[in-house]
Amino acid sequence: MAKRVRAYVKLQIAAGKATPAPPIGPALGQHGVAIMNFVKEYNERTASMAGQVVPVLITVYEDRSYTFVTKTPPAADLLRRAAGVEKGAGNPKADRVGSVSADQIREIAELKMKDLNAVDLAGAVKQVEGTARSMGIEVGA
Amino acid sequence: MTESEPDTVTQAPAWLELSVECDTEAVEPVSELFARHGYNGGVVIEEPFTQDPDGDNIAVDPSRPVVVRTFVAATDTPPTVVDEIREALWHLGRLRHVGELVLVERREEDWANAWKEHYRVHRIGRRVVVRAPWHDHEPAADEVVVELDPGMAFGTGLHPSTKLCVLGLEDELRPGARVLDVGTGSGVLAIAAVLLGAARVDAVDIEPVAVRTTRENAARNGVADRVAVAEGSVGPGAPFPGTYDLVLANIIARVLVDLTSGLAAAVPPGGTLVLSGIIESREQAVRRAFEDAGLVFDRRTQMEDWVALVYRGPSAPTMSR
Repeated sequence: MAKRVRAYVKLQIAAGKATPAPPIGPALGQHGVAIMNFVKEYNERTASMAGQVVPVLITVYEDRSYTFVTKTPPAADLLRRAAGVEKGAGNPKADRVGSVSADQIREIAELKMKDLNAVDLAGAVKQVEGTARSMGIEVGA
Repeated sequence: MTESEPDTVTQAPAWLELSVECDTEAVEPVSELFARHGYNGGVVIEEPFTQDPDGDNIAVDPSRPVVVRTFVAATDTPPTVVDEIREALWHLGRLRHVGELVLVERREEDWANAWKEHYRVHRIGRRVVVRAPWHDHEPAADEVVVELDPGMAFGTGLHPSTKLCVLGLEDELRPGARVLDVGTGSGVLAIAAVLLGAARVDAVDIEPVAVRTTRENAARNGVADRVAVAEGSVGPGAPFPGTYDLVLANIIARVLVDLTSGLAAAVPPGGTLVLSGIIESREQAVRRAFEDAGLVFDRRTQMEDWVALVYRGPSAPTMSR
């Protein structure tokens, strides 16, 4: 079928717990997507991953039909878990909320590799390190 | 419903939408910040993209900023939260490009039912009408009604390419015909073909979700016994290798050209091929390919910038040389 894309919408939401409330309702409703339909599908497919943030990339076509693919958890979420901190720093230039090792960064980069637009693992490592710094998480040796 | 699920009925009616434009590198930290404060920890990321006029060659456009959004309940969110977010964005803005925080008040009715407007009862051909499951429709004498649950897989019937293909189907289908639907999507064309009098429709799509959706929609319309669906295409390895009275292919120009020989092989002398999903600027390329394959051009139809082409099978059996 001829598919002209109307929007690419990525949602960072909790696995198995999607509801028509924000952010899903307004994010999809404005593009004419059948909200309940998406909510049901997403929850079914992510039920086994409860407790994690499972981002989903939704492609909305011009005729309001859509497809979606789930992605790996956000690097920020993985970094928070690795560093054992609840949240990133308010002022990442001045504050350090925690630290992660180079090995932990590498592990996260390997997991995220397929969802990052990095050419190789070294590039992915750089991106994850950048995210860590922006959150006030120090990268150790 | 579990206890942890938010009560959407009694939740404050007004929401505050917070959005910011930023570069790709800043998306993760901004999302992390928004997830900390946003309702249900939810964040929306909208990536800009480029595509050809017919949706081919779609790619994320890294030269334009990404929009990141979140929502907070306007009544139970202390004003200091917005100040905190603004301050944190300012700090992030010293490391990466981060634009101004934009605040918009939103109400539930803005989106809760707005999308249903698109799924009323639609007449998509002269006789074919599509309706969503929650709408009743008393069909007129010559109408056929296809019930579609809108959602996954392309083909809600709202796209000009689908409408053009339905018109071609209505004109060309003879009662009792055998039909092949290539790139069936939601199955809308296959189901309409049965309801218009086809004896049997074989439908293929390379996407598993389309195969599943077509099966569900065929069952919903009570025609599952006359619609066979398989994952695949035409040409080598085709799940349905025969010839048909009528072949429908509503895909896009590039794919139609790629499938020329497989589609042509399915159209015997006396058979008909309806091609749709062709953006006007690529019409000539498609016409050249199908005329070179020995099919006989019958006519073209157009709606907006989309074109459909009707071909007849080769006028005489091809002589082997």
